[in-house]
Amino acid sequence: MNLNHYRNELIVGLSFILVLIAFFYKNTQVSSQAEQLFAMKQEVRDFKEIIAYKKIWGDKGLSKKIDKLQTVVPSSKVRWSKKGKKLTARYVGLTPKELNKIMTKLMSLAIQITELDIAKSGENYNMECKCKW
Amino acid sequence: MNLMGSNRELLLVHRNMGKVSLDHRVNVMLTPQFYTMKKEELPIKYLYQAKKIAPSLFDGLLDEQGNYEYFVFKEEDKWIFIAYNPEEIKEFLKLKGIFGEYLSKIFFVQQIQHAFVQPIALSDKEVLMTIDGVVVLVPRTVLSGELQTAIFDESFTPKSGVTLHGNGNALISKKEMIVLSSLFIVFASVFFIEGWQYSRSMKVQKKEMQELLEAYPALQSKMQRESISFKYRTINNTERKKRDTIKTLAAMIFKGVTLTAYHMDEKHFKATFTCDNTKTAAKVEALAKKSNFKVTSAKGSNIVVIEGNV
Repeated sequence: MNLNHYRNELIVGLSFILVLIAFFYKNTQVSSQAEQLFAMKQEVRDFKEIIAYKKIWGDKGLSKKIDKLQTVVPSSKVRWSKKGKKLTARYVGLTPKELNKIMTKLMSLAIQITELDIAKSGENYNMECKCKW
Repeated sequence: MNLMGSNRELLLVHRNMGKVSLDHRVNVMLTPQFYTMKKEELPIKYLYQAKKIAPSLFDGLLDEQGNYEYFVFKEEDKWIFIAYNPEEIKEFLKLKGIFGEYLSKIFFVQQIQHAFVQPIALSDKEVLMTIDGVVVLVPRTVLSGELQTAIFDESFTPKSGVTLHGNGNALISKKEMIVLSSLFIVFASVFFIEGWQYSRSMKVQKKEMQELLEAYPALQSKMQRESISFKYRTINNTERKKRDTIKTLAAMIFKGVTLTAYHMDEKHFKATFTCDNTKTAAKVEALAKKSNFKVTSAKGSNIVVIEGNV
């Protein structure tokens, strides 16, 4: 049999076989790895999320950063009590501007506010803040 | 296997040729007996343009019953148009023993007119030679006795030729073969790439996970990771909510509104606003309701108390 006579059919046949091989290769990869890949991606995502959370809420430098709440207003207006990873700060006679300043600072720190009390006294404000980290 | 069909035996086909017996594929060169030729100097640059106008050039010159095809090429500054009838050629070749399965490519003598400066003998009576740049059949008697004839062989094979459609027992034409195999190759490439990407992304993920585990050995246990994730997710959600509440309440302090008291613990908050007039109090009330907070204020009073959960 002269294969040359069927040259066109041979080329088409070979390329079709190539498609079939490629298709089975892809299918094998997809069926064997799709579920595993999804689970692995999810795990990596969760891992990264934990790292990000730890970086924010478990920041070891927070103890130092929190001290800025003490210096943001004159020391005569602050009563500071820091024990371990807990803080109770009392502010008296704060002007509205000073109150704003403290609140902005407090909200930007990644600490857990357990209690916050603000009361107006005359033209000024008294504030008590309890937090932990 | 020679897929291109070059370097094959080249047969010079003319009306008075004898019958041949073949067991291999051959190329065929046709004498002017099988085609009509026109030589034109046209302001055309590209071959596809020339091919487009080819049928119009032969208007009235060809047998109207015949189904013609055209072969075009450039010779110096002139375009050569060749009209041929594939069916007629196929019939003749079959008659002479050149069956479709043995037929590779068809060429026209005009393609190599420069090679026919020295005549080539077709029979005792006829020779093939170039006169004024056109290959024609000439009676041998008109040649002077000293003029030697050349030998026709494969070296006369031009670069390009035509393939007659429906040759032999081929089920797929060359054009169909090109289209189908290109399509299959494209599909195969897509499938291969897709499969490869899957296996690659799995490797990438595994590597990434490995790097993370190495960088954070404390998080190697899945249970531990889940517990830490739960702890921090809860803190994150609660604290963000607390801060959002404070921001929303701060937005309610505008001209005529004063915050007189605020209390917030782990679960609950209560804010008291004193307003200059009832109109302002109503505005604060509306803003609080919009944020889904609980509002308590005595009718006609300028004091608004807002409560809610964090």
